[in-house]
Amino acid sequence: MIALIRLLGSYTIAFVTETGSMFLFFFATVGHAFRPPYRLHNILKQIQFIGVRSLFVIILTAVFAGMVLALQGYYTLTRFGAEGLLGPAVALSIIRELGPVLSGLMVTGRAGSALAAELGIMRIREQVDALEVMGIAPMQFLVAPRMIAGLVAMPVLTVIFDVIGILGGYLVAVQLLEMSSGVYFSGIESAVVMKDITTGLIKAVSFGLIVTWVCTFKGYHARRGAEGVSQATTSAVVQSSVLILVCDYFITSILL
Amino acid sequence: MPLPPPETLPEIDQSVQDAAPLPIGERLVRNQCISSAQLAEALATQSDRGNKESLIGKRLIELGYISHPALLTCLFHQLTRERVAYQLDYQERPPQTIIRFENVDKSLDGRQVLDRLNLEIPANKITAIIGISGGGKSVTLKHMVGLMKPDRGEIWVGDRPLGRLSGRQLNRVRHRFSMLFQEGALFDSMNVTDNVAFPLRETTRLSEAEILHRVEAALQEVNLGGMGHKYPDELSGGMKKRAALARALVTQPEIILLDEPTAGLDPIIENAIHYLICDTFMRTRYTIVLISHAVPAIFDWCHHVVVLHRGRVLASGPSLEIRHSADPTIKQFIRGDLDGPIQVI
Repeated sequence: MIALIRLLGSYTIAFVTETGSMFLFFFATVGHAFRPPYRLHNILKQIQFIGVRSLFVIILTAVFAGMVLALQGYYTLTRFGAEGLLGPAVALSIIRELGPVLSGLMVTGRAGSALAAELGIMRIREQVDALEVMGIAPMQFLVAPRMIAGLVAMPVLTVIFDVIGILGGYLVAVQLLEMSSGVYFSGIESAVVMKDITTGLIKAVSFGLIVTWVCTFKGYHARRGAEGVSQATTSAVVQSSVLILVCDYFITSILL
Repeated sequence: MPLPPPETLPEIDQSVQDAAPLPIGERLVRNQCISSAQLAEALATQSDRGNKESLIGKRLIELGYISHPALLTCLFHQLTRERVAYQLDYQERPPQTIIRFENVDKSLDGRQVLDRLNLEIPANKITAIIGISGGGKSVTLKHMVGLMKPDRGEIWVGDRPLGRLSGRQLNRVRHRFSMLFQEGALFDSMNVTDNVAFPLRETTRLSEAEILHRVEAALQEVNLGGMGHKYPDELSGGMKKRAALARALVTQPEIILLDEPTAGLDPIIENAIHYLICDTFMRTRYTIVLISHAVPAIFDWCHHVVVLHRGRVLASGPSLEIRHSADPTIKQFIRGDLDGPIQVI
C-alpha cells in the first residue's frame, strides 16, 4: 500500500514539475517573441515548414474525410428521410469539429514530430549551447518563430481543410449519390453561421499553439543521445494529440 | 614535418623573453626564418592592409620565402621558447588571471562532478585541462561561459562574477568568448560559409560584404579556403573541427574554449590542429583554454596545464613543470599505466 502511495506521489510530483516547466517555457518564449531583434525571415521559414509543407497531407485527409462523412451521413439521414440536410451535416461537422481536430493531428504527425526531432538533435549535438555561447537566445531564435508560425499556419490550414472537406462531400453526394448540387450548397449556406466558423478558427489557433508548444518543449529538453531524441519525439506527438482532443472537448463545451 | 625536441632548441634570448609579444613577421626575422628585406617586401605587397598581422604568413608563403610547414615550425619553436620563459617566470611574476573558479560545486544526476573547485586560467596563454574521463573537464569549460550554473561557489571572468549577472550582462560577457564544441556543433542546414558567417550576421551590424570578407579570411586561416559551399555532412572530422574553429575565430574573441579539438582524429590531423591552434595563438594572442586527451603531446603545445581529478584540481602550473611532476596520479595519467592510484579496471 505504501509502495502504491509512493508511486502515486512520485508520478504526481513528476506531473506537476513537468507542467510547471512547460508553463515557464511558454512564458519565456512569449517574453522572447516580443524582444528585438525580430527575425521575420525565421518566422516565414517556419510558416513554410509547418504550413506549406503540410498542405498535401491536409488536402488528402480533407478530401477523404469529407467523402466518408457524406457517405455515412447520407445513409444515416436517408433512414429519417432527411437526406436534404447532408450538405449542412457535412459542413458543420467539418467546420466546427473535424477541420480543426484533424488538421491539428495531421500537423502534429508531420510537422510537430519534425520540430521535436530537429530541436532534440540540435540539443544533443550542442548546437543549442553554441547559440548561447554566441550570445543568441535559443528561445528567441529557435522556439519563438516556431510557435508564431504554428499560430499563423494552423488557422490557414484549417480553412483549407474545411473547403476541401466540403468539396470532398460534394463529390460523393452529387457525383456518386446523385444528389442535387443546389440542395447540397444551399443547405450549407443557410445552416452555417459566423459563430461556427469562429469556433473552428479558435480551435485551430489553440491547436496550433498546443502542437508547437509541446513539440518544441519536448525537443528543447531532449537528453541522452539518439534514444532521448526518439523518446522526446514520441512523447511530443502523443501528448500533443491527447491535448488536442482534451482541449477540443473543453473549447466545444465553452463555445457551444 | 620533423620537429626537434624542445631540449635541442637554442637558449632563450632574455630580450625576447621580456619583450611584449612580437608581430609574426618580426618574430620570423629574429628567428632567422626570413630576412628583413623579405619581410619588408611581403608587408609592402600585402593586399589586405587591414589584416597585416593575421595574413603576413600567407603572403610570405605566396612569395615563396617560406613554406607553410616551415612557417608553422618557426611558430612552434617560438611557442616552445615562450613556454620555457613562462616556466622560469611563473613563481616570480605570476601571470594575470582571466578566469577564476572559487570553491565551485556542481552535482549532476546525484553525482558530485565539481567538488570545491578552485581554478585560475592565465590571460593570453594557452591552457590545457587534462584528466581522466568523467573528471569534470567539459563541465568546467561549460561553467566558464555560463552554460552551466554552479550549485555553490563563484566563477569570475575578469572582474565579472557570472552568477550575479543579469541575462543581458551575461550575454555581454559571452561576447568575449568563442567555443569549439567536441563535435563542432555546426548547423546542419547551413553550408560552411553560412555557419562561419552566422555569429556575425546575428550579433553584429556589419555589411554582408564585410561579413563575407571576414568569413573567407577565417576559412583561409584554417586552410578551408574554397570549401565554403560544402555542408557539414560533406566534411571529414578534421575539416568539421577546422570549420568550427573558423566560426570561433571569426568573431575575434578574447577567450577561445576548445572542447577536445583533436578527439577522434588521426595523428596527422591531430598534429595539424595543434599547429593551427599555435598559429592562431601567435597571430592573435587570445587566451586559449582547451581540453585534451592527447597526452603527452599536448604538453608541447600549451603554456599552462591544469590536471582535474574527481572534480578537483590535482595540479596546476607551467606545462614543463606538470610534465615532470612526481605526483603518482599525474605520472600514471601521463604514462597511461593501468597500475597506480587511478583504478579503472
